[in-house]
Amino acid sequence: MSGLLQTGLTLLASAEESHGEGGHHGTSFIGLFVYLGLTLLVLFVLLQSAKMGFKDRVFTRKTTSWFEQVYLFVEGMCVNIIGPHGRKYTPFIITFWLVIFVSNAVGLFMASTPTADLGFNLGMALISIGYVQWEGIGTNGVFGHFKHFAGPKLGLAMIPITLMIFVIEIISEAIKNVSLSLRLFGNIEGGHLAVEAMNKLGEPFYIPIGFFLLPIKVLTVVVQALIFTLLTCVYISLVTHHEEEHHDEHALEPTHA
Amino acid sequence: MSDQKQSSGLPAWVMYILGPLFMVGGFWVSVNVTHGNIKSLEEQGIPLDPGKTLAVIGVFLILFKVIESFYIMPLRDAIGTRNSDLESTFSEAENLRTQMADLKTDYERRLAATEADAREKIQAQIKEAQELRKTLMGEASAKADELVKRAQDEIAQERDRALAGIRLHVANLTLQATEKILSENMDNDRNRKLIDEFLDKVEVPTA
Repeated sequence: MSGLLQTGLTLLASAEESHGEGGHHGTSFIGLFVYLGLTLLVLFVLLQSAKMGFKDRVFTRKTTSWFEQVYLFVEGMCVNIIGPHGRKYTPFIITFWLVIFVSNAVGLFMASTPTADLGFNLGMALISIGYVQWEGIGTNGVFGHFKHFAGPKLGLAMIPITLMIFVIEIISEAIKNVSLSLRLFGNIEGGHLAVEAMNKLGEPFYIPIGFFLLPIKVLTVVVQALIFTLLTCVYISLVTHHEEEHHDEHALEPTHA
Repeated sequence: MSDQKQSSGLPAWVMYILGPLFMVGGFWVSVNVTHGNIKSLEEQGIPLDPGKTLAVIGVFLILFKVIESFYIMPLRDAIGTRNSDLESTFSEAENLRTQMADLKTDYERRLAATEADAREKIQAQIKEAQELRKTLMGEASAKADELVKRAQDEIAQERDRALAGIRLHVANLTLQATEKILSENMDNDRNRKLIDEFLDKVEVPTA
């Protein structure tokens, strides 16, 4: 047991060291996975604690109630943004929400956090956008999905414009990965750097000035988890809402006739 | 329903195989692959390790299914069970309320019927009592009248008998007195006739 604890502390120390040495160069591979392991440990402890209250008829356990509220909030977000069929995406979205939220929260007490690593955020963004493409192809078919990138039908004479729109849309889809990952990385890592810089200012007076940024960082913890999941919902909505629109149009046809 | 129960995507077993592969592959890339563009980005303050990205994709492929299977689905089931419990409780309460309303209506109907029946019986009893009273009063009145009449008749008979007795006694006394005064027998028919005539004159007529 003490050996395991010692190993854990060594890993954490090496992660801290690599972060400290690298500064803005990010944590090492092992360092990232130490922080990710810590994040997942906290997450699974919370989830397991929540699961223990599932048997109650009324959820009186704090963690169970908290998990239910998060679940209902994310489910509501999925249904409101994507539509009635958005409920099936809740597990996917809530996983992102939980990992980002817990990771950001862990970052409040540690030198670094997984979401402060661009590689980690890019991985999540690739999964998010990849899943969006998967769902888009599943809903509209390969041709139907990529046809949307070409924009409206402009006729044969406008083929160059259509091609240009198609290329721009493909680049736009690729850039979504960058925007999702850089936004999260910038906010979390930027917060850390700002705290470190302010602490350095206060070092001669032994005042941790960076501490005063805590309220903003707490706000960032929630807002960044929300933004990432909200944008994923919007992207899913954009590629899956056409089917419903067509249904609506068909439903409206008799009234138009 | 199944559409809502499971998120679409790759089957779980595929993700459980792909996840570790991505993680190992990511570690290998992180250790062995270096690219000029990545170093350039790092020098510009944007540290990017593709190996970490690959490994994180692997972690998430496993994480999605683990969280969904072990936590989201049980939570959904628990919420569903709770909702169905609440619905059944509400429906049971609604049934009980309907039963109670029916029982109340039945009770009120029976109460009204009982009251009407009781009122009818009371009215019948009152009517019967009144008729009995009238009959008894009539009988009592008739009997009283008969008794009064009989008493009056007896009184009249007694009075007549008394008057006749007094009359005879007075006549006898008168004759005896007269006989003594005159020392002779005055008891003859002519004198008796005179006395009767006298008594008829002095007698107070009866009502």
